[in-house]
Amino acid sequence: MEYLITLAVLIALNVILAASYNLVIGYGGLSTVAHPIFFAIGAYTTGLLSIHVPELPALANVVLGMAAAVVASVLLAGSSLRVSGDYLLIASLGFQLGLLQLIRNLEFTGGPGGLSAIPGTIVGPMRGPLFLLICGGAALACVLIIRAIVKGPYGRAIGAMRDEELAFTALGRNAMSMKIVIFAIGCGMAGGAGGLYAYYFQYISPDQFEVLASAAVLTMVVLGGMGTPFGPVVGAALLLAIPQAITFLHLPQNIMAPMQGIIFTLLVLVFLFLRPAGILGGKGHPR
Amino acid sequence: MTRSLNLPRRTVLAGALIAPFVVRAQGKEPIKIGNAMPMTGSQAGYGNDFVTAMRMGVADVNAAGGIAGRPVELIALDTQAEPQLAINAVNRFIGVDKLPMFFTAWSPVVKAVAPIANREQVLEINCGANSPEIANLGDYVYTAFPLAEVDVVKLAKYTFTTLGKKRVAVLYINNDTGIDAAKLYRDTFTAAGGQIVAFETYDPKATEFTGMLLKTRAANPDMVHIHGLINDIPQVIAQMRQLGLTQRVSSYSAAYNQKLLDQLGAAAEGLIVTSLAPGVADNPRVAPYIERWKKEIGRVPNGLPYTQYQYDMVYLVKALYEHLDKKGTPATGTSLREALLAVREFDLPLTGKMIIEGHRVDKTVYLLTVEKGAYVPLATLN
Repeated sequence: MEYLITLAVLIALNVILAASYNLVIGYGGLSTVAHPIFFAIGAYTTGLLSIHVPELPALANVVLGMAAAVVASVLLAGSSLRVSGDYLLIASLGFQLGLLQLIRNLEFTGGPGGLSAIPGTIVGPMRGPLFLLICGGAALACVLIIRAIVKGPYGRAIGAMRDEELAFTALGRNAMSMKIVIFAIGCGMAGGAGGLYAYYFQYISPDQFEVLASAAVLTMVVLGGMGTPFGPVVGAALLLAIPQAITFLHLPQNIMAPMQGIIFTLLVLVFLFLRPAGILGGKGHPR
Repeated sequence: MTRSLNLPRRTVLAGALIAPFVVRAQGKEPIKIGNAMPMTGSQAGYGNDFVTAMRMGVADVNAAGGIAGRPVELIALDTQAEPQLAINAVNRFIGVDKLPMFFTAWSPVVKAVAPIANREQVLEINCGANSPEIANLGDYVYTAFPLAEVDVVKLAKYTFTTLGKKRVAVLYINNDTGIDAAKLYRDTFTAAGGQIVAFETYDPKATEFTGMLLKTRAANPDMVHIHGLINDIPQVIAQMRQLGLTQRVSSYSAAYNQKLLDQLGAAAEGLIVTSLAPGVADNPRVAPYIERWKKEIGRVPNGLPYTQYQYDMVYLVKALYEHLDKKGTPATGTSLREALLAVREFDLPLTGKMIIEGHRVDKTVYLLTVEKGAYVPLATLN
C-alpha cells in the first residue's frame, strides 16, 4: 500500500509541476526549460528552513518555498522575457545550470551529496495517506486554478498574447507584465510542489533537477496534450506509472534492463505518432 | 491474437500432475532478498555485475539447502544510481514484496532511501558505497562495505611512510564519492608530515581536464592521487600522460578494474589501487570464483572486490536468519537489526571476517600495483 501511495504522491507532485509548466509553455508560449529549477528552489528553501528553523510550521515553510520560487522567477523573467524563442530557451537553460552549480558548491545546501535529514513532519501510520491527501488536493487545486485562469477573459488575453504578440501590444495591452505574471504563477506552483516533495521524501540532491528533469516534464506536457487543462495530468500519470508497471512483468534481469527503456520509449513514440497534439489534445497538430 | 506453445497433450498432463509435488519438494516459503542496483544507465556495468554476483551467492546457498530449509529468492530492482528511482524500488520492496531488509549501493542512493528505512523500520545494508556520511544515516542504516576512511587513510599513510613521497597532488570528482575522500586523504597525508601541492576538483560530467592537469604539472608533485569514478579515472590518467605528467598515480578500489587496464595500456603502469577484499593469493576461494565468472559470463567481473561483497551478502543474510531461527523470532526489520548487532562477527566466504563496529566495518586493505599490464599485490595494510 505504501508503495502505491508513494507512487500516487509522486504523480500528484509531478501533475503540479507539469500543469504549471503547461501554463508557462502551453498557454503562455514561453519557451523555457528551467521549470525543474523552481521545483528545486522550493524544495531547498523548504528543506533548509525545516532543518535550521524548526519552530516554523511546515505550511509556512512550503509557502516560503513558493515565495522563493516566485522571486527567482520574477528575477529571471525581468531580465530574459524581453527576448523570446531560442534566446529565452538559452537564458532559462543558463539560469538552471548556473543555479545548480551554485547548489552543488555551497556547503549549507549539502553540496553534490544532497540535503538529507529533512524532518518528516507527519509521523505514524497515517503519514502516507495524509500526504497523499495534501499532495492530491494541491494537484487538483493547481489544475483547477490554471483551468479557471485560461478559461476566463484573462485566458483569452493570454492566448492572444501567445498567438500574436505584436497585435496584442498594439491594442494597448502590456505583454511583458502578462508574461511575468504567468511565469510567476507557474514557477510558484512548481516551488510549492518542491516544498511538499522535500517533506515527503526527506532527501533532495541537485542531480534530481538537471536537464533530464526538464526533458521529463516537457514530455509529460507534450504527451498529455500541451495547452489542455488535463493533458499534463494524463502525461504525468503515464510517464511515472508505465516504468513501474514494466517492473511487474517479472522478466529476467538481462531482458528487463534494456526492455524497460525500449518499452517506455516505444510507448511515447506511438502516442506521439498517433496523437501528435497529445493524448487529450485532439487529432490535430500541437499548438 | 494469441499464441500457444505446441506441446504434446501428454507432456502437459504429466507436467500438471508433477507440478504440485515439485512445489512441495521445494519446501517452505522462500526468503526474499532485495537488491536495489543500477542495472541501466551509466553505472550499469558495475550494477549488473553486482546483481550477477549476488545471484551466484543465492544459487550456492540454495544448492547447499537454503537458509534453515527455506529457499532464497533474489529480487533485483533498477535504480540507475538515481535517488528517485531508488526510492521507488525500496518502496516496492517494503510495500509490495514485504521485505524486512534490503541491500543497496551508490552513496546518493544509500542516502536517499535512508529516511524510508528508518521510518518503516526496515534494515538497509550498504554493500558498495563508501561515503563517510553513511555511518550517520540513522538506526536502520548499516554498512557491510568499508567506508572511505578505511582505505584512503591507510593509503595516504603508506604513500608518505613507505613510498617516501612528500609532495602529492589530489584530483577528485566533485560529488559524494570524491569530496569527503579527498579531504580525508589531504588531512591524513598532511598530518603524517607530507604536503598537498595541488587539491583540484572536476565536474562529474567533465571529459576534458587540461586546465586542472596543467596546474598540477606546475605544482610538480612527487605523486598524484585521483579519487573519481571508473568512467573518468582512465580519462584523467590518459590526459595526464599526454601532457607529460609521468608521476606515479594512486587511486582507490574503483580503479581496480580490468577495463581500466584495457583502456589505458602502458599509461597505467605503476598505478596503485586499493582493494577491500582478499585476492587470489589471500583467499583460496577467490580463484574458483573468478573462474566461475569466466565460465558462466565469459569474463572477469567489473569491480571484482565489490562483487565479492555482493556474493557474501547472501551468507550474511543466512547468518542473520539462522540466528533468528534459533531464537524462534520472526524476521522483521527490527529483529534483523538486533540480530546484526548480536552476531556482529561474520565469517564470509569471499571477503573473510567482517566485524560490525557501530555503523562501520573495518577491513584489511590490499594494495595492488600495475606491472606489465596486470594488477599485482603490493602490500597488505591491517
